[in-house]
Amino acid sequence: MKYYTATYWAFFKTSLLEQFQYRAAMAIWMIGRILEPIIYLTVWTTVAQTRGGSVGSYSPADFAAYYIVLMLVNQFTFSWIMHTYDFRIRQGELSNFLLKPIHPIHADIAENIAYKVMTAVIIFPTAILLFFLFEPNLAFHIQTFAVFLLALGLAFIMRFFIEWTLALIAFWTTRNEAINQMYFTLGLFLSGRIAPIDLLPDAIQTLANALPFRWAVAFPVELMLGRLSQEQILNGFTMQALWLLAGFLLIQLTWRLGVKKYSAVGS
Amino acid sequence: MGHPILPPSTPHSQKLTSPQTHITFRPCPTPPTSPSYEVPQREPGLGAAIKSLVSRTTRDVEAVKNITFDVAPGEIVGFLGPNGAGKTTTLKMLSGLLHPTAGEISVIGHTPYARHKDFLNRITLVMGQRNQLMWDIPVADSFERNRAIYRISHGEYNKTLDELNALLDLSDLLSKPVRNLSLGERMKCEIAAALLHRPQVLFLDEPTIGLDVTMQRRIRAFLGEYNRRHSATVLLTSHYMADVEALCKRVIIIHHGELLFDGDLNTLIERFSPHKTIVVDLEVERADLSAYGDVVTAEGNSVTLRVPKTKTADVTGKLLANLPVIDLTVEDPPIEEVIEQVFSN
Amino acid sequence: MYYLKLIWIFFRIGLLNEMAYRVNFYVQLLQSLLSLGTAIAGLAIVFSHTDTLGGWEAIDILALLGVFMFVGGVIGMVISPSMSQLMDDVRLGIFDYTLTKPCDAQFLASISQIRLWRIIDILLGAGVLIAALIYRGLDIGPREALAFAFVLCTGGSIIYSFWLMLATLTFWFLRIENILHIFQSMYEAGRWPIGIYPHWLRYILTFLVPVAFAITVPAEALSGRLTPDSLITSGLLCVFLVVISRWFWKRGLKNYSGASA
Repeated sequence: MKYYTATYWAFFKTSLLEQFQYRAAMAIWMIGRILEPIIYLTVWTTVAQTRGGSVGSYSPADFAAYYIVLMLVNQFTFSWIMHTYDFRIRQGELSNFLLKPIHPIHADIAENIAYKVMTAVIIFPTAILLFFLFEPNLAFHIQTFAVFLLALGLAFIMRFFIEWTLALIAFWTTRNEAINQMYFTLGLFLSGRIAPIDLLPDAIQTLANALPFRWAVAFPVELMLGRLSQEQILNGFTMQALWLLAGFLLIQLTWRLGVKKYSAVGS
Repeated sequence: MGHPILPPSTPHSQKLTSPQTHITFRPCPTPPTSPSYEVPQREPGLGAAIKSLVSRTTRDVEAVKNITFDVAPGEIVGFLGPNGAGKTTTLKMLSGLLHPTAGEISVIGHTPYARHKDFLNRITLVMGQRNQLMWDIPVADSFERNRAIYRISHGEYNKTLDELNALLDLSDLLSKPVRNLSLGERMKCEIAAALLHRPQVLFLDEPTIGLDVTMQRRIRAFLGEYNRRHSATVLLTSHYMADVEALCKRVIIIHHGELLFDGDLNTLIERFSPHKTIVVDLEVERADLSAYGDVVTAEGNSVTLRVPKTKTADVTGKLLANLPVIDLTVEDPPIEEVIEQVFSN
Repeated sequence: MYYLKLIWIFFRIGLLNEMAYRVNFYVQLLQSLLSLGTAIAGLAIVFSHTDTLGGWEAIDILALLGVFMFVGGVIGMVISPSMSQLMDDVRLGIFDYTLTKPCDAQFLASISQIRLWRIIDILLGAGVLIAALIYRGLDIGPREALAFAFVLCTGGSIIYSFWLMLATLTFWFLRIENILHIFQSMYEAGRWPIGIYPHWLRYILTFLVPVAFAITVPAEALSGRLTPDSLITSGLLCVFLVVISRWFWKRGLKNYSGASA
């Protein structure tokens, strides 16, 4: 345990140092992740106004709360590991990781956390600014917030496991952009980014409940907004736990097979 | 939690296949099962390009066919061969990055491909054309990262760093980001980073590539010193014969994935060089010695002759008997020439 | 003639490059279809709750989507890869090769890289646009068609000049390749009519990052919403940006050759 804290700290520090060199680029890359919720917030607000005040159970102020919290949740749970692996394997950089007596996922998790810490400087002021621009309907309860943090933490690990597994597909195909794109597209709909899940057609809602996307993003958001019943919250945590376990098992399997493939002579 | 080099008497050494063997490399007991892989082939031109959209031809390539060898602890072995001979493939197999389709590879008692933590803690791989240091941050911070990964205690780390510092003169470099270092400085840091955990076995793939002569000499001297101090086993590939001459008593030459020679550097020269070079200084200038052998150079009163090895004694005797010789030396030809000779056979 | 020939040769090279990795074609096809499907599904979800969005009907927004994909395809095929290449070349010092060619450097740099398969986006975009027009019963007259062609060209030139100016910054600042990404991110906002956004965002999307002129204004021309003001502004801004970007480019070159001499 002590070894892992020390190693994580070293990974975290070096990642932070490295990323600091790219702070301008990082700020630029965040534009898209900030703009997307604003775009859909605007679209749904316009729709609500056209309909005389609300869409489903969402008023413009509800949409504002939804999309501001969504922006934060998405920021704290997302990873870029699928792109990293493509590069790592094609450039042979993975060899460096394989030579080290520690599983490479630890360096990746630490790097991701370092990134989140660094970009907090941008995302929190942005959220505050949006708060004043869009006047969201968001009440703060300490209990809700505590449960929200738990859901957010689980969402982060779960999403990281799943995306790490998908990233390993790069072992088998050198062009996994197509898979990334499909995953991204599904996520756009099923994690509640294009619209809150309960505004989607029933069939898509069913799909969203079965797949991990909703539990990684929309669930913590709805929880924070106080839109979920106790039963729904319990159900959400169960789904998170299940997908976390599934992701963990999948990593064991794909990593073992992937390395075997990578290290086959000539690959 | 340092991981110092384990002397041969520690429990780990009991895992060795034999006390005299650090490395056993037998990836291919019989030729048919030798490792091979497919590479796509494509002809130039627009037509061929379009055709390749639909169908693709491949051919099998064998990486290493008939290479087997053992290495004893503390040995420095040079790997020679032209590009594509299979040197890097062999080193990757030994360090556990590639696994052979058949046969046995053993390094310090481990099967490399299992990538056991104990194994990884005791080896290192340095690739001259690839870096492990993080590009944008100071070298020292990358070192810290490795310190954590390899569980090196502060005391051990500082000791190792001092030693590396003294040998490689790193002190000015540690605070700089890697991108601001010259190629030679970077290589020094790469090597230091790879040795922080005091590995017992070093795999070095072209560690001096692209460096200027002074820096090459520097790295070479360092590797020799490291090997002496810690009796580490070193496997080294290089294009520069000077590296091999300076460091390796034993060389392994491979070509097209096949072992051409494995043995003493001197034996190699002995066996593959049919010629010796005789340099004579005479009391007279511009003597015509073409009757004794091929005249390579003739400047002033010094003449360089090349003679068949079997006739060396004979020619030397005649020269001494017939001419006013001041000085006479018999030399082996440059090693590059010998290697060329090996490949041409 | 010489320039047309050059363009053709660069296209041919682009094709050869793409052919080297045949999978790219299928990958691009899949990606383009996916993003078209995503966009249409998004529209369907929004319009399942309303009939109009900021005064635009679903079919008009579909036409807008066609323009969005078409212009995005052009940017992705030529402008974006060439400008990235320019920045790389300047940083690595191989831009000198471009300068030693007996041809206008801005022209060469602007078409140096062609990602041919992005043509799929252009074709799909045009397809969506035409489909939307047919669905509406081809209700546009020659005046609207002409206005559309005009603002599409001026919008395209505005976008090109904007990219060129961003890329030209590389002559002064070497490590700013990410600056191009600002545009890519902001472009996403163009898939909805600019008019629905809050004032501050509308302003940014019109003048700071001129997405409005490239997408919304041409789409307005097709649905009879185009005001003479927009038409004239688009034309004037186009002339202004083309001239100023050319001037900026020349300044950049001067700085580049001054520094490397």
